[in-house]
Amino acid sequence: MLNDFQGDMLWSEIEEVVGQKNVSTLAADRLVYSTDWSWIPQMWLDRGIQPPAADFVVHPGSAQEISAILKIANSYRIPVVPWGGGSGTQGGAIPTYGGILLDLKRLNDIIEINEDSLYVTAQAGVNGSQLEWALNEKNLTLPHYPASANCATLGGYLAPRGSGTISTKYGKAEDLVMSMEVVLPDSTIIRTPPVPSHAAGPDFMRLFLGSEGTLGVITEVTMQIERLPEVRLLRAMLFKDITTGLEAGRRMMVQRLNPLVIRMYDPSSTGSLVKEVLGYELQGAYMIIGFDGWEEIALAQEKRALAICKELGAQDLGREAGERWWNHRYDFYYPPWGLHLPYLYGTVETISVFDKIEQLYHAKKEALEKTFEDWDLSYIGHFSHWFPWGASLYDRFIVKDPPQDPHEALKLHNRIWAVAVRTSLKNGGMLNEHHGIGLKLSRFMRAQYGPAWQLLETIKHAIDPHGIMNPGKVGFGRGPGD
Amino acid sequence: MTKRGASVDRSFRGEIARYIKDPISTTEHCRYSLMCRHVCPVGNITHSETLTPHGWALVVASVKRGLLAWDEESVDILYKCADCGLCQSHCGTNQPLPTAIAAARAEVVEQGLAPPQVLAIDKALQKWANPYAKRAPRKVKVKGVIGLYVGDAAQYLHPSTLEAALKLLEAMGVNPVLVGVGCSNGFLASSLGLAATATQLATAILGEVVKADCGKLLVMSPGDLYAFRTLYIERLNLTWPLEVEVVEATSFLYNAFKNGKLSLNRQNATPSYAYHDPCHSPRVRREYEAPRQLLSTVLGTAPLDLFWREQRAHPCGAVGGLEFTQPELATQLAEARFADTHRAGASLLITEDPLCLNQLKKHASFGIAVKGLYETLAEGINE
Repeated sequence: MLNDFQGDMLWSEIEEVVGQKNVSTLAADRLVYSTDWSWIPQMWLDRGIQPPAADFVVHPGSAQEISAILKIANSYRIPVVPWGGGSGTQGGAIPTYGGILLDLKRLNDIIEINEDSLYVTAQAGVNGSQLEWALNEKNLTLPHYPASANCATLGGYLAPRGSGTISTKYGKAEDLVMSMEVVLPDSTIIRTPPVPSHAAGPDFMRLFLGSEGTLGVITEVTMQIERLPEVRLLRAMLFKDITTGLEAGRRMMVQRLNPLVIRMYDPSSTGSLVKEVLGYELQGAYMIIGFDGWEEIALAQEKRALAICKELGAQDLGREAGERWWNHRYDFYYPPWGLHLPYLYGTVETISVFDKIEQLYHAKKEALEKTFEDWDLSYIGHFSHWFPWGASLYDRFIVKDPPQDPHEALKLHNRIWAVAVRTSLKNGGMLNEHHGIGLKLSRFMRAQYGPAWQLLETIKHAIDPHGIMNPGKVGFGRGPGD
Repeated sequence: MTKRGASVDRSFRGEIARYIKDPISTTEHCRYSLMCRHVCPVGNITHSETLTPHGWALVVASVKRGLLAWDEESVDILYKCADCGLCQSHCGTNQPLPTAIAAARAEVVEQGLAPPQVLAIDKALQKWANPYAKRAPRKVKVKGVIGLYVGDAAQYLHPSTLEAALKLLEAMGVNPVLVGVGCSNGFLASSLGLAATATQLATAILGEVVKADCGKLLVMSPGDLYAFRTLYIERLNLTWPLEVEVVEATSFLYNAFKNGKLSLNRQNATPSYAYHDPCHSPRVRREYEAPRQLLSTVLGTAPLDLFWREQRAHPCGAVGGLEFTQPELATQLAEARFADTHRAGASLLITEDPLCLNQLKKHASFGIAVKGLYETLAEGINE
């Protein structure tokens, strides 16, 4: 915490860098920036408690300004928390230890759309949907369609290693990035080579993917883009259970049919979310499959996929049911359909190889529902991001009547997460697949990596010796100097 | 097979249909929904998380919880929402957040904490039915099949809009009854939280409409269409006479043109131009093609596309009373329209809303000229 004198001195220094109108200490600003899309700060605010807030909300206009701010932060040894769209669910952007919150949304220029080589270079604060619209005007697309596109920024796509709806074909955001500009904690501005690939030593660009602002501030990015496809073929299938549905998905992937999307809702989700949002009353596992590209190729791929589904006894619900999902795929996240307070909830998503994914689902369902039976915990999930060798499980827990005391609610929340994470790790899963670590999963990083964790800590200390960058996140440190 | 640009079904069932009618629970739910931030013009201009739909909702919700209080700072933030309707029109569940923000402003007014500009506007509206001139509105005296709502901006700020619209209608043989001459439609008052004044103005307009006895009421801007079709019913709990159809004049003229009832000449030497969808366009189901096709006919080429157009059209700052309460922000929004026009490569910006025309002409930049749509079309009338 800064005393008043330090606060005034610091304010003056920041103002000299970004200008008076780009630094705020207003109570409303500090409150609004004290919560991202994660449950913990939202629950606190809901119960009338102010979560930890930044001392200064700063809107830098360039990498050079960010560099200057980091110099100041190093000299004062105060935390710096980068903020993109605030759409993270793990508490990665909340200013746990106060300090300077850097809102990057002024860095929103689209610098170049290259239609020959198919790449786009833009500043990290550009809004995802606005970038997509700009590309669509030229019949192009950045094939990263996360549910958060309307609110997330380009830098925010990469910092927590996000996935989108069509990642099964086009990869995660991190698979689309070609190069980036980063301001290091010591204020140095670096750029990674703007080429599709190379072998000039270790690929240090990847160090910043998943760093969530703990190793520097991503300020500019070049992403690979695609031409908009001639067709998108969506279709819905109904499997009697997840066993047959998972097998169908596995066969599509190992036969390399290159689907755009495979998304299978478990019977609980099919009976609740799919019913509420899409209006279908179904029993079993509702699955969307999709193919895109040139029409004749997409139709051929779809034909093979349909044969697999038929062989496994699936009911073909047709195109309309698939297209309805596509047109409403983000509606699941609008109020009141998205998970919301006063419920206690969390998305404990994970990933594994095909031979372990079903067991992982059953183990987590059983562990969470049994351990927290007294709280009437419900567990739902879907399998939404598929890889040639495995799939992600996007599973969630919901407690509809949690403790009223916010401290007790938080303790219960953390206990549930601990059971979910340990069950994932024990059954061949991972801490997560695409939501990042943030504050929420920070305490599990040692368990996840074992001896390898030391390597990451060594890198962190070398790059950020004063520990100013987003302390308390991704398992690193509790504050400056730690 | 899904082709690009497939429309989203906005029909809702059961609980959700009831839910969206409740503006109080709207702020409770919107406080943590960031899904409409990409279209918010104020958030886009200011880059501030607080000045976005979820930011405003969170501020209102936090005041209710005692985490913030209504004071000069927080009231200033509350009055920075443009009430343009973009958040609601892009909402997957049609949350009426603009109405909820107007309701919060009404609470602020009731507590005596409204900005002084708001109180000054209230006085002017109550006395003169408009904030621009110290003149009373003209009452309707005759009846007719077709009416034309004039309002206050066309009467006092940009009269050439009205003159040109009348000339176009006359060319089709239509002589409308003028309704609401010099009288605000009530949107400004509603937006600023002056609920009683808004109701008073709306009731006066409704009285005029009944007196005019017209079956069709033409409006010169999407803002008027929004007021009559939606605001009166959803915010003010008034009833619009079902027998009176409200139609945008651009649609009316375009239909007449297509049916051969309006003949328009192509002009010579047209500069490259863009068309500004007036404030409120995204929140009404307007015919986006109508003004564009009419302009294409008269000017010989289609307008250049602005980035913020049609369903995502950004306002020019002449909306939600920003020009009175937040002049700097209103100016920034106008400047952004010119930056958009400049990027599109146009040297002329055309629109029809008299309030937009007044705002844009005040802030024209990049050497871009501003011209009225009706004025442009009127120049192409075959005498």
